Amino acid sequence: MKRKVIHPAPTERELTGPRYWRSLDELADTPGFREHLEREFPQGASNLDGVDRRQFFKLMAASFALGGIGLAGCRRPESYILPYGKSVEGLVPGLPLYFATAMPLRKSAIPLLAETHQGRPTKLEGNPTYAPHGGASSLLAQASVLDLYDPDRATAHTKNGAGLDVAGLNDLLASIGKNYSAAGGAGLAFLADESSSPTRAALVARLKAKFPKAIWAEYEPVQDEPPIMAAQAAFGQAVKPLYQFAKARRIVSLDCDFLAAESGSLYYSREFAKGRRVRTKDDEMNRLYVAESGFTITGGMADHRLRLASSHMVLLAAALASRITSNSDYAKFAEGLDVDPKWLDACADDLLANKGTSLVVAGAHQPAIVHVLAYAINAALGNIGETVDFVAVEPSGAATLADLAPAITAGQVKTLVILGGNPAYNAPADLEFATLLKNVPEVIRYGGYVDETSQLAGVHIAAAHYLESWGDARTVDGTIVPVQPMILPLFGGLTEIEVLARIAGEPTVDPYALVFNTITKIAGGDAQAAFNKLLHDGLLENSAYEKIPVEFSALRTGSLFASASKPAVFSKASLEVRFAADYKVDDGRFVNNGWLQECPDPITRLTWDNAILISPRLAKELGVDPKGSLFQVARRELADFDKGNENAFIAEVTVGGRKVRGPLHIQPGLSNYTIVLPLGYGRSAVGHVGLGTGFNAYLVRTSDASEFVPGATITVTSERMILANTQEHWSMEGRDLVREDNFDDFQRNPGYVHAIGLEAHSPPIYGEDGANMTPAERAAEGPKIRGNSLYVTPEFTGPQQWGMSIDLNTCTGCNACVVACQAENNIPIVGKDQVSRGREMHWIRIDRYYSSGSADNNDIPEDPQASVQPVACSQCELAPCEMVCPVNATVHDEEGLNVMAYNRCIGTRYCANNCPYKVRRFNYFDWNKRSIGHFYEGPLGPDGMPELLKMVKNPEVTIRIRGVMEKCTYCVQRIEGAKIQHKVKVAQAGDPADIVLPDGAVRTACQQACPVEAIVFGNILNPDSAVSKAKAQEQDYALLAYLNTRPRTTYLGKLRNPNPAMPDYTVPLSRKELQQHNGTPAEGEGSGDDKSPGDPNAVAPAAKIGGSS
Amino acid sequence: MSHIEDATAEAPAILAEVAPAHLPRPVLVANNRSFGWITEKICNIAEEKTPVWWWWCFGVACFVASFTVFGLIYLVSTGVGVWGHRNPVNWAWDIVNFVFWIGIGHAGTLISAILCLLRQKWRTSINRSAEAMTIFAVVCAAIFPVFHVGRIWYAWFLFPLPNSNLVWQNFRSPLEWDVFAVSTYGTVSVLFWYVGMVPDLATLRDRAVIKWKQIFYGVLAMGWRNSSRHWSNYEMAYLILAGISTPLVLSVHTIVSFDFAVSLIPGWHTTIFPPYFVAGAIFSGFGMVLTLILPLRAVYRLEDLVTQYHIDCMCKITLATGTMVGYAYAMEFFIAWYGANPNEGFAFINRAFGPYAWAYWIMITCNVITPQLFWFKKVRQNIPLVWILSIFVNVGMWFERFVIIATSLARDFLPSSWGYYSPSFVEIFTFFGTFGVFSVLFLLFIRFLPIMPMAEIKAVTPQADPHSGHDHH
Repeated sequence: MKRKVIHPAPTERELTGPRYWRSLDELADTPGFREHLEREFPQGASNLDGVDRRQFFKLMAASFALGGIGLAGCRRPESYILPYGKSVEGLVPGLPLYFATAMPLRKSAIPLLAETHQGRPTKLEGNPTYAPHGGASSLLAQASVLDLYDPDRATAHTKNGAGLDVAGLNDLLASIGKNYSAAGGAGLAFLADESSSPTRAALVARLKAKFPKAIWAEYEPVQDEPPIMAAQAAFGQAVKPLYQFAKARRIVSLDCDFLAAESGSLYYSREFAKGRRVRTKDDEMNRLYVAESGFTITGGMADHRLRLASSHMVLLAAALASRITSNSDYAKFAEGLDVDPKWLDACADDLLANKGTSLVVAGAHQPAIVHVLAYAINAALGNIGETVDFVAVEPSGAATLADLAPAITAGQVKTLVILGGNPAYNAPADLEFATLLKNVPEVIRYGGYVDETSQLAGVHIAAAHYLESWGDARTVDGTIVPVQPMILPLFGGLTEIEVLARIAGEPTVDPYALVFNTITKIAGGDAQAAFNKLLHDGLLENSAYEKIPVEFSALRTGSLFASASKPAVFSKASLEVRFAADYKVDDGRFVNNGWLQECPDPITRLTWDNAILISPRLAKELGVDPKGSLFQVARRELADFDKGNENAFIAEVTVGGRKVRGPLHIQPGLSNYTIVLPLGYGRSAVGHVGLGTGFNAYLVRTSDASEFVPGATITVTSERMILANTQEHWSMEGRDLVREDNFDDFQRNPGYVHAIGLEAHSPPIYGEDGANMTPAERAAEGPKIRGNSLYVTPEFTGPQQWGMSIDLNTCTGCNACVVACQAENNIPIVGKDQVSRGREMHWIRIDRYYSSGSADNNDIPEDPQASVQPVACSQCELAPCEMVCPVNATVHDEEGLNVMAYNRCIGTRYCANNCPYKVRRFNYFDWNKRSIGHFYEGPLGPDGMPELLKMVKNPEVTIRIRGVMEKCTYCVQRIEGAKIQHKVKVAQAGDPADIVLPDGAVRTACQQACPVEAIVFGNILNPDSAVSKAKAQEQDYALLAYLNTRPRTTYLGKLRNPNPAMPDYTVPLSRKELQQHNGTPAEGEGSGDDKSPGDPNAVAPAAKIGGSS
Repeated sequence: MSHIEDATAEAPAILAEVAPAHLPRPVLVANNRSFGWITEKICNIAEEKTPVWWWWCFGVACFVASFTVFGLIYLVSTGVGVWGHRNPVNWAWDIVNFVFWIGIGHAGTLISAILCLLRQKWRTSINRSAEAMTIFAVVCAAIFPVFHVGRIWYAWFLFPLPNSNLVWQNFRSPLEWDVFAVSTYGTVSVLFWYVGMVPDLATLRDRAVIKWKQIFYGVLAMGWRNSSRHWSNYEMAYLILAGISTPLVLSVHTIVSFDFAVSLIPGWHTTIFPPYFVAGAIFSGFGMVLTLILPLRAVYRLEDLVTQYHIDCMCKITLATGTMVGYAYAMEFFIAWYGANPNEGFAFINRAFGPYAWAYWIMITCNVITPQLFWFKKVRQNIPLVWILSIFVNVGMWFERFVIIATSLARDFLPSSWGYYSPSFVEIFTFFGTFGVFSVLFLLFIRFLPIMPMAEIKAVTPQADPHSGHDHH
């Protein structure tokens, strides 16, 4: 399905004609005809939101070309198009083309394939050529295509508020270079965000050579890579670690969210899943120890999770190091650590027993000393070169914001060029960056949005989105990847390298040429061929950072320990504040992205807002503990709910005299006295989407305490605000939804999932023999299968039967699938108000449950286990929704899909009521026609979607009108597309009977995005397909199977691998609750020492029930 | 019509020996009113000058009805989102109101048809207005399922009309059954009502002095000339319609209950629903009859026609059906426990003690406790109290539907999807407005049509009895 095709240059003929005309009027180009054309355009086209109509039409030239107006508007200027073969290779009108590009983010990048329809990118996929990611992509990458079409982007270059044309801008940029060249750049300063682009690095080097006195500073509010300084101290070299999680059998994370927040998280997730995945009882499974202050995605996957303040992580690291290395200094350093020594001993023993196959990782936000300790442990365990490699990185040599600030204060900076970032919003509060900028006579700002920083700058240069830019970047392992434009800049934005090249007075300012020159120099050989291959593959082979051997020396690190101070002890009066980048809006740069805003936070499930996260203990002490109702039948909620909306108290956090106000959210699993403040919200100068979302935690973040800070206080006000939380209830209520077991019990009892479900007590779902039949055979057997039902089963006569398997053991809950589905299936966003009314439209959602291990205790658990479960339409073979639809709008096809006929749906919503999985979504309003905030105005409100946003829609998926039901289709458009393609192929090969798609020919959007390959989709009739193999595993079970819905999506049970020697060893807490709930005692309750965990007799012998054929 | 007293003529001799105490039958028309008085009394209601209070009531009712009209205009123009529905509570007040009104509509046909077949003569005083109430309640009920759909302009998809798409209706869906059940019920109820009214319309025609009334009633009376042949055909038609209507009384609410019972949602998926819904419907129907007839009785001084005996009978039926409903509530709990399905068990515990417990206990109070007061004669004789209690019954039955629909949906299988539904103002006003719609129709009814079947009432008076005034013993 993937074809990577290089844009050919247009031929002379394409550029100029042939000219078609619709009437003689058009040929004559009479005013009357022009007027007629105007009138034909959609209502309101002349007052587009944010986009000049005329300009928009220019940009939409491609569609004009198809519309038959002629190719005169076709914009394929020669200079932008790459050389080509002979013809437009593979271009079939109506079919998408895929081009390789990459999304740069800080010091790494995610290689991507962009799906383009008629010249507009609509969907991004991971580039499968880049092996470490294996075609996966992240939440942010999935959502970034929406930013391209954001009508709130900076649409023009401006100078003092007035428009600046391209020529004027070019003159201005050139004049900077000219003005400062004489003084060697004195008075000129740059403040850029981090980048891995080799081209930018080269330009910066040349810039520095030309302006030796200029200041080049870089600032990123969020660190996602271990500090080079730590490696310098430990190894004496500028290296960075690259973890090989697949090889690690024991992993200890010291406040390290390597599955989501670290720069290599996509690669790490994938590798971690390799060590986590269990197919048979003979497989091995890694064990993850996580110590953390907040609750992260990584913490949710932990087998042993230790809640510990971030400041105390250094003590924990030292305590572990003292047990693992022979260095006695560490033990002394670890004094004051409030952790059960048994925990530490057992953890250390486990690591020591796995020398060379263990791994200790420290969070990027942790100070160098923690990283040094982690390196020390890894070195002592012989992990270096095994589970962790060190690669050489070039130090950027850039100054920091702290270096730049005094220069500005001293008046040494006359011209400041701010490239990207948004320092006025996210610089440390103590620098008072906004005030600082007033000391600079000329501020030139290059950015994609007119944001807080732009408002303080005289000149704003509109930046191009990466999908509009030529560029390059390096992935986490250093592989060079191209950033290739999919479309001309919609708003005439410039690329960063062009701006730099113009300031530097480079002879070449064309970004394409700049990238070409840089890459071909690195690649060597035939420049053109190498570059073409780069663009085709989406990466430069063998360009990864060099792995270099390192030697840990404790001697070098002595000074670090000498200068380290003892962390404080925390209490209600002296709290720790931890600043963390938000999972969705990152450091604030994605705050105007509706898909991300509406995507529930993987842990809190909040949308459209951030919240001050506090532990249940602190909540109790603050008196904000939700009371619950008089007779509590389900577990108490995490917050008071007002008509189903989280009604959060507003609290004020004071850190070092600075205050910030925000809503409180009680987060189980937090370190008792750590408050987590998610960054990135509360922007003041932002587009329509991000406006008014969340609070700005940067207000209390200072340069000396940018990651976590002690001594904070919190006061709770009586004010309240509504938070849009997509999951009101956190407990599984002792139900058999996520079926969990410990790995050691699983090895004895691999079919455990079948013994703990409600269906274990019902007659076999598929009858006595049905389990071994194909769906078609079962359908033919009909009523005999079970219960002599009168109803006719759909026949399932198709040559292939679709099914899906979701591995709960590897799913981290990262949400990439949720947004991938949104992008693929044109799922609208509905806004905070509608989300809080329970009307979010996601076709796949991730349920997150906490378990405390006690079904009777109504309290909010302080130390829960989290279990996540992606739920989309299960495509039930006996679908309850189909039975109740009065108009036959939802029916089955012969390949097992439960299909929705939107045109037939009248919207009784009966199907949604009768869906036990609650995956059907109703169009309560015209989400696509009306705009957020105006839904209730109906036809009197403004027509919604800006034309620009329509461009991101996938043309292969219908936009749903109000009043119809929608749901997951297993990406039926992809299935049908693949079928057509296969048909064409086999017809050419002369075997038209071959109508079965090869395994893997169709990948659903969620499956394709999933970094941990938890989702497997395919033909369940083929016993060799990946999905059949997954479903054949013993831990395969169907959610709510006892209802006899026979879902085609089944789950693989979740496994935890706790260490029996640990004091907190326990059977999975959700399992415990389930057994308490159902009256059977939990095995191995309490400490694992006194009772053999998972006695095979404790649960009924596994009977294979249901599952796939 | 045969008379029970006739039977005494051929009574076995033993009766004379044992000499059973003579139990006087309560009179159905008090004060020994004459035929003429009855005709005058009932016709006069339609013939008199429109009373001022009527205009006031009509004005208020129109105003209230406009809430429904505007609510529906807003709904259709903007989307179902103007109501408070959400995932997972995709049905709420719309279907609650539908079932509520349909339930109310049950008493009329029950009184007309079943009591007719059972020869319960006391039905004559109340059957006309109860039938009218049925029809108007069905009108109100029909508003909700029609307008609650997302795309009302395609609501005709529900009907099996030939079309080029070759898409047929799904006859497995209880909603499709509803379409037929409710429309049949509505049609038969109208016919029954109208057929029963024909002799009285003829009376009004004959008495009319104004031209348009003569035409109006003349057309409606369809040439009724009071001949024996007419009467003979009329009685037969009425009996057949009663026979047709009787199963409908049971079927409509059974099928409405299938909307829930046939689904798999815990709290809905319950086999007790059909009888329980029918009992509840009769309960609410009688509650509504009482609510309407008592003021009517007071305003038009109809105490002689709607006697204490009538009220007693209605109170007793309310008591009986209310107790049945209470039994059903208890049985639901028992089965949920006995069935040992944890999801089922939770659904019921959650009803009583979960976030919607307030609604549940309102329901229990109004539906189970209130009717128990009718055990006491003093209560039954206290007309204002009966009227208040009848309102309690109406409220309780509305809450019963709310409890069944909303609480079951709000917390079903997956706790991750649990939610709490609360109505929007639009919903509240739309529902409120249907009382206006109902009142408008009912006011028009009492203004223009004979609110009581004169012919039938006369038939149950002592004067109609050929042995009237004679001593049989």
